[in-house]
Amino acid sequence: MNNSRTNILICTGGGCVASGALEVSAALQEAIDRYGLTGEVKVIETGCLGPCAVGPVALVYPDGVLYQDLKPEYADEIAEEHLLKGRIVERLIYKEPSEGEKAPTLKELSFFRKQVKIVLRNCGLIDPMQMEEYIAVDGYQALARVLTEMQPEEVINEVKRSGLRGRGGAGFPTGLKWELCRRAEGKKKYVLCNADEGDPGAFMDRSILEGDPHSVIEAMAIAAYAIGSSESYIYVRAEYPLAVERLSNALEQAGEYGLIGSDIFGTGFNFNLEIRMGSGAFVCGEETALMTSIEGNRGEPRPRPPFPANKGLWGMPSLLNNVETYANIPMIILKGSEWYASIGTEKSKGTKVFALAGAVNNTGLVEVPIGMSLGEIIYDIGGGVRDGKIFKAAQIGGPSGGCIPKEYLNVPVDYESITELGAIMGSGGLIVMDEDTCMVDIARFFIDFVKDESCGKCTPCRIGTKRMLEILTRICEGRGEEGDIEKLIDLGNTIKDTALCGLGQTAPNPVLSTIRYFREEYVAHIRDRRCPAGVCPDLVRSPCQNACPAGVDVPGYVSLIGEKRYTEALRLHRERNPFASVCARVCFHKCEDKCRRATLDEPLSIRGLKRFMVDQETAFQIPEIREDKLNAGRKVAVIGAGPAGLSCAYFLARLGYRPKVFEAMSQPGGMLVQAIPTYRLPREVLRGEIQMIERLGVEISTGIRLGKDFTMKDLREDGYVAAFLGVGAPAGISLGISGEEVKGFMQALQFLCEYNLSGSVNVSQSVMVIGGGNAAIDAARTAVRLGAKSVTVLYRRTRAEMPAYAEEVEEAEREGVRLEFLASPLEIITKNGRLRGIKCCRMVLGDFDRSGRRRPVPGDDGEFSVEADQGILAIGQALNTSEIVNGTGLRLTGRSFIEVNPVTSRTSVEWIFAGGDAVTGAASVVDAVAGGEKAAVGIDMYLTGENHAFWRVDREPDTFFDPEADPVEYPRSKIRLLPIDKRKHNFSEVEMPWKESPALREAKRCLRCDYREES
Amino acid sequence: MAKKIKSLKELQELKSRVKADIDLRSGPKETQITVHMGTCGIAAGARDILTSLTAELSKASIDNVTLRQSGCIGLCDQEPMFSLSDRSGATFLYVRLDNNKVHEIVQDHLLGGNPVTSYLSKE
Amino acid sequence: MTGKNGNTVCVEKTEESELLERLDEVLAEYRNKPGALIPVLQIAQGIFGYLPENALKHICLGLDKSYSEVAGIVGFYSFFSIVPRGKHLVRVCLGTACYVRGGKRVLDTLKHELGIDVGETTPDKIFSLEVARCFGACGLAPTIMIDNEVRQRIKPTKIRGILYQYRNQYTNSNKGE
Repeated sequence: MNNSRTNILICTGGGCVASGALEVSAALQEAIDRYGLTGEVKVIETGCLGPCAVGPVALVYPDGVLYQDLKPEYADEIAEEHLLKGRIVERLIYKEPSEGEKAPTLKELSFFRKQVKIVLRNCGLIDPMQMEEYIAVDGYQALARVLTEMQPEEVINEVKRSGLRGRGGAGFPTGLKWELCRRAEGKKKYVLCNADEGDPGAFMDRSILEGDPHSVIEAMAIAAYAIGSSESYIYVRAEYPLAVERLSNALEQAGEYGLIGSDIFGTGFNFNLEIRMGSGAFVCGEETALMTSIEGNRGEPRPRPPFPANKGLWGMPSLLNNVETYANIPMIILKGSEWYASIGTEKSKGTKVFALAGAVNNTGLVEVPIGMSLGEIIYDIGGGVRDGKIFKAAQIGGPSGGCIPKEYLNVPVDYESITELGAIMGSGGLIVMDEDTCMVDIARFFIDFVKDESCGKCTPCRIGTKRMLEILTRICEGRGEEGDIEKLIDLGNTIKDTALCGLGQTAPNPVLSTIRYFREEYVAHIRDRRCPAGVCPDLVRSPCQNACPAGVDVPGYVSLIGEKRYTEALRLHRERNPFASVCARVCFHKCEDKCRRATLDEPLSIRGLKRFMVDQETAFQIPEIREDKLNAGRKVAVIGAGPAGLSCAYFLARLGYRPKVFEAMSQPGGMLVQAIPTYRLPREVLRGEIQMIERLGVEISTGIRLGKDFTMKDLREDGYVAAFLGVGAPAGISLGISGEEVKGFMQALQFLCEYNLSGSVNVSQSVMVIGGGNAAIDAARTAVRLGAKSVTVLYRRTRAEMPAYAEEVEEAEREGVRLEFLASPLEIITKNGRLRGIKCCRMVLGDFDRSGRRRPVPGDDGEFSVEADQGILAIGQALNTSEIVNGTGLRLTGRSFIEVNPVTSRTSVEWIFAGGDAVTGAASVVDAVAGGEKAAVGIDMYLTGENHAFWRVDREPDTFFDPEADPVEYPRSKIRLLPIDKRKHNFSEVEMPWKESPALREAKRCLRCDYREES
Repeated sequence: MAKKIKSLKELQELKSRVKADIDLRSGPKETQITVHMGTCGIAAGARDILTSLTAELSKASIDNVTLRQSGCIGLCDQEPMFSLSDRSGATFLYVRLDNNKVHEIVQDHLLGGNPVTSYLSKE
Repeated sequence: MTGKNGNTVCVEKTEESELLERLDEVLAEYRNKPGALIPVLQIAQGIFGYLPENALKHICLGLDKSYSEVAGIVGFYSFFSIVPRGKHLVRVCLGTACYVRGGKRVLDTLKHELGIDVGETTPDKIFSLEVARCFGACGLAPTIMIDNEVRQRIKPTKIRGILYQYRNQYTNSNKGE
């Protein structure tokens, strides 16, 4: 019977079954029969293999090939190609989700490479419905050895020496628990298994029961022998029907083989096991509640002591462990406690299974040695965050746990370290959250959960969680009050100290932990009535508008475009952002990253639509202005004619002020005119929008520099009552290595500014640019256009970490720019006082820094050199502090930018306000627009005592929308680019305009998330 | 109805009866035999060779061999054939096989350690 | 009409007395087991599709429990229902993984499409809607469970199509029944 040459192991864990594994299995068996391979090739339905996200999966042995995303219709191909002819079906092979490359065998896959499987040793290897398979992998040998060769005390000692701790959450030493129970007095003793895996997000116990039920049965029998018991119960939650089915089957088979029942192995040892199903009460996972429920009562906890080891089920000494804890036991007996204790850390031995879920590429079950860093689990095994989003936090330990933010990715995952950070190891649910998760909403979710699941027996839990939920709900709904955060902390601590059972005592953890790490997000909800993640419906009109720093009504203008009402659309845009034409070209469109259409196919091309809209502008479209004689008489100065300063002036003018703008350079525009190359932003476009602002009564003087031509004191003496500092961060940061002062080495902004303002700059044959941001890419592409033969960008991290826009980086490469990653400059090479190149160290990505990115560290590959006769430096920008701050009394932040009040934008000097890069450090145009607007409102409030920002009130669009209609099926319209040979040697605009039809189609793709049914 | 297991010995016996399939699942082993099964190989009887190899290995209780199939390597007129890489790392191409030759190769090469030179390809 | 699992069996056509007889057999089997009440209630719900008052009264007699004790237990565990459910039970997972992957929007869409709130049954008695905490399929979030079948990676935009598959069964096969 065992002459089969090939085994196909089909994962029939719950995940794969939901994805259709059983149908695939049947189809494969049928195909095997049809191809006459019956008996030669065996199909085995196994437990969970782990990579649930790409299921159904099947593993073919002896080749060790893993097929993914299987469908019944692929069965014939696999049978004919692989099983008959031995040719692996490449296109169905498991891909590394993060890289999209194919890797051929299981052991080479990063998902499996770092895992150590003890608990999950048989999951995905054996058929859980065939007890013989368990026996073939040494099943029941541990029980046989224990019963025939060991005394109960020896068993307990072995477990104690292994260092195993309870995997259910608290981490109590397992051997000690067994010993206490053995010593306890009682007529009868019970062995219990907690399989009421209620923590949302944890599913390892389900997988073990589904994939290797005998290991738990065997371990419970061993435990029964050790404590002197013969009766046992396993309490499984009702939501796991498949686990119950396989466990029942395993019990039946074990009974047939005589491995449970009476006189096992002829030793006189009796052992019976009964399955009890839960009935949907989370609190029954608490040990005393679980026992009360087995007794047939309402599953309410009771105070401890007495502990279950002394008085448990029906008042008898009872040993309760969870599924994962038990699954370790047979291996500890077989391989010895010493072997087990060699895995893990000093205080936490062995492995832990984590259910990796949420916004991570490789979701599934992973088993790792305790003490592996959180970052390794999420990035090396989990493959990083999904859809290129940014990691925000990992939630560990379910409703009793907490979150760990990106600053702590290096934390070793063990009981003590995790607890120190305010979370708990818990049962092992590890949910990855990205930028789209609102931490207040998550806290509310968990409190809502425990409030529902509270059994109601003790007041702190019953009433306290209800009160916390009320507060969190009002915060999420935009009705938060000052002091709410403190109230939550107070209530949380009270509940922790006074609740009766573990459920209540840990219930406030998710709230306290999110406040600890994400307090500013609570503040945004309460003070600014804003949900930065774009989740809370009462604070978010639509995800795109919420994501826009300037708050532009995206669905509004998009739907107007869809009705060909271009003028109205543009006016609506300029309600919140005057630089529609500029942003149509250079905005990094956060709105598109949040577009919900992406869940259907691809996000809306919002920037494409905006470009089409501004191309239709024939006469300046100026939105509403409220003339005000009093305001017109108040002198307000704006220093710096960049996007922040001009926006501030624009909004002030709309309130009736006549602000005067002072610009140091010869032309207004700031970075827009000095840094951004004309192939991205044609200057007539920029000039048009600046003229539009001047029409509102804004006066701009150029060539007059703060700190040189005038001081803040002068302004005050001239009668200015308020001033806005939008001076940017134009100073370059140097590398701090030798040779930087050599001729041919300059700052990127200096290089770009010189060309953009004077029309010429010196460019050599071979140019190197150091840095990975937009300024670096702009400088590189400008150098290409000015005739450099070779242009190399050196960056110390990898492409994934580059701050420059991905589209710009791609186009730079198409134009011939070479990218050199993981290169860190060591020394500038000079010859005869001229630049010759640079010596770099080859870096590798090491552990995680505070930004949650891997830190580049020197690797083993040593040094290398890049030749160049011109060097451009773009590694960061700073405020010109000496010019701006001297003598004003302005306070700076820790990073040496101007400190402002986050609501009013006022600086430490009463009449001076600030915004843009000078406050935030180098950021995007739309951030500067938002900073200018905020300061304009702040200045007006300072001068009038009231908020007159009429543009902030959203109007419901009068465009037609049918909420019942299905979304149109057009694909995303692409933005066409000028061919490379037509753009590489000139400064023509690279992006080409749309015609009307693709634009109208694109506008109709909008799902209109802003739409609300009239109530 | 399964027979009750009454001792460790009986458990071991059952284990040895059922472990062949599980061994298959431990991935590639030190010796690898690849039966070349293109359309031509199958036509020349490679399926029978594969079956008899499986049987011979099991009869001889050899458990350190990974048996797999693969496509045609181009020497169609010498089929059926398999290539055998042993622990030394050397690869031998056995050609024009039948069931008797398979038996001999298993006995002499795999158990005895001496390649059966007369069945090797001379190309 | 028999459903795949006991919870959603449609009982109109079977005589209640017949079902009560089956319940009596169960009670006879469990009478002397310790802690029998909850397993018996689970089986009873499997037989009737929910827990009608008559069945509860039988259980009280059979296990020698007071009605208030039994009712207290039925009320405590969310798995038990004392009102009939629709032919298909749609349960939306609001476990953490599903929640962060958009489970709430799935629920909102289902409410909208079915025109009912959580805990309610559609007027045509085809669907009941409930929320659940984690089916343990977190790797495939967001998920819903229709009867005993977990459906993975649900997008709000696809819900109408999924419901149609179930609804369609009745509009087409009603004639044959």
